[in-house]
Amino acid sequence: MARITIDPITRLEGHGRIDIFLNDQGMVENTFFQIPELRGFEQFCVGRMAEEMPVITNRICGVCPEAHHLAATKALDAVFGAEPTGAAKKLRELLYMAFFVTDHTTHFYALGGPDFIVGPDAPPAERNILGVARKVGLEVAGEVIACRKRNHEIITFLGGKSIHPVAGVPGGWSRAITSVERTQIEDIARRNIEFAIFSLSIFERIVLKNPLYLDLVTSDVYLHRTYSMGTVDAGNRANFYDGMIRVVDPEGAEFIKYNPSEYREHIAERVEAWTYLKYPYLKKVGWKGLTDGIGSGIYTATPLSRLNVSEGMATSLANAEYQRMYETFGCKKITAARYEPIHHRLATHWARLIELLYSSERMLELALDPEITSPETRNIPDPARFVGEGVGSVEAPRGTLTHHYVTDERGVLTKVNMIVGTTNNYAPISMSIKRAAEKLITGNAPDESILNRVEMAFRLYDPCLSCATHFLPGKMPLTVSIRDSQGGLLREMRRKG
Amino acid sequence: MRETGTVIIGMGNRLLSDDGVGIAVAAAVAERLKQYMNLTVTELHIGGIRLMEAMAGFKRAVVVDAMLSGAPPGTVRRFDPKDFVTTKNTFSSHDTDFATAYDLGRMAGVPLPEQVSFWGIEAREFDLFGERFTDEVAAAVPGAVNLIVAQITEWEGAA
Repeated sequence: MARITIDPITRLEGHGRIDIFLNDQGMVENTFFQIPELRGFEQFCVGRMAEEMPVITNRICGVCPEAHHLAATKALDAVFGAEPTGAAKKLRELLYMAFFVTDHTTHFYALGGPDFIVGPDAPPAERNILGVARKVGLEVAGEVIACRKRNHEIITFLGGKSIHPVAGVPGGWSRAITSVERTQIEDIARRNIEFAIFSLSIFERIVLKNPLYLDLVTSDVYLHRTYSMGTVDAGNRANFYDGMIRVVDPEGAEFIKYNPSEYREHIAERVEAWTYLKYPYLKKVGWKGLTDGIGSGIYTATPLSRLNVSEGMATSLANAEYQRMYETFGCKKITAARYEPIHHRLATHWARLIELLYSSERMLELALDPEITSPETRNIPDPARFVGEGVGSVEAPRGTLTHHYVTDERGVLTKVNMIVGTTNNYAPISMSIKRAAEKLITGNAPDESILNRVEMAFRLYDPCLSCATHFLPGKMPLTVSIRDSQGGLLREMRRKG
Repeated sequence: MRETGTVIIGMGNRLLSDDGVGIAVAAAVAERLKQYMNLTVTELHIGGIRLMEAMAGFKRAVVVDAMLSGAPPGTVRRFDPKDFVTTKNTFSSHDTDFATAYDLGRMAGVPLPEQVSFWGIEAREFDLFGERFTDEVAAAVPGAVNLIVAQITEWEGAA
């Protein structure tokens, strides 16, 4: 079997690369997205006090420390049997909405958007946030920076520290907010809403109104009919901080809905010899290999899948955009508020913008909630209610994040398990890369097209490799080698960092 | 807004063995120099736009990071700003490389330092959870601190 390797980590042989295997006929046989793991996390944690986890796990990943901090804090609520106060839950969610706004904004303008706004075939030197600003207007650069800055300020004072929040404690949140701070948050939330609407208008103007780009979004290049997963509130609408995990099948019928603490009854992990990372799948459907359809247990946990499981959005402006997206794809309504799932993966970029608007609106709702300035931010854990085991789950920007801790009777950790956002999507990412390779590798597509279409496949999931893995040194150089079935080099493509 | 003072940014993850060496060196440099000058020390786990933002408002910036260049572990190197991207954490896979982020900042009118220097310390163990450096890297810390102290002192003297 021939093998094509796209290796973004030039100096770490055998780590973090894309392998494309060709058969004797020169067709794509299979593709594997191999990423390295960080070693020794469980050993590092076991023997420590469980309370340390919110400040240890928030250092696993430089991109979403807030998500790990909240999942860890929620796991501690369960370990200590301490239900947080109403104000504490709202403060946690408020911080989280500010985080979602910065994260989704950054992804759209810096990473995902350039493919559409600058164009999928533009030279890589232009296909970045500077290219976006040149096309949309230079003021957008200032808008993106200002959006990040104002939300980072909220995260810093609500979280107690910049970058790595420390305010989460079992049973609550260690910091209340003043009415002056509340006013500031309200103002920022309003500006976030305006910015989200502006971002959706750019998407409409540049992508949806351009038949070429609209065709790309709605084409079957990255179409996989998998199950969809997301967290929903009591009304079955998307919520990022708390709720039940809902899974719908490829047709949109509810398959299961469960409390995150029951994840092990529903999710199993497939171990394959070629990679350290495990492929999670739905236990009750089973592992059928890297294939989609109702008979395959592969599921997706992304902004798009969260919308697929949701009975509309819980805020009005985001809900109107939600309806527009499904109607653009010609999806039929299957309940009063929900449509058939969208399986076109490039729509994930659109879904991310709808989530940006939802997060902004939800932030405003929380800022206007009278309880948000309550000083009652913590229930002190009662030793009589100590449990010694707990699962904490949130929707991270890149998928459902689960932390699971077991302690001894003193609260010392004896077992730690995590399923991070990207891990959920490991199988779908591999399938999207395969699809891109099938469409392009065997044709006469130019080098740059192949490199970019393969990159686009994983960029739409924004895989957070630093969570489960160690990430890339330097820029991301790509090398694609195409070899014949004897291993002889036919063609080599290289993009320098 | 007028830019003032110097920021020293230690990059990496303190929980990942040698990956935290930049943070330790930055802290040690700041300890040596803070009584003599307006020096701020910051820790950062991710590069790209975050790194550009961490420099905003300062006149000068020094970045210290682990590197994986193939040199013997413990090797200390100073990079030209045009080589920015070659250290381990100055790039963010979720947004962009530092050079693009710097241009973005300029475009957005962010007050950025006139002088930026990058220091890399070759790591050996960087994907294993642990709070200790390997021997070669631990041994390189005092030398790296001296070199960076000398560089900042030279900047200050020239100012």
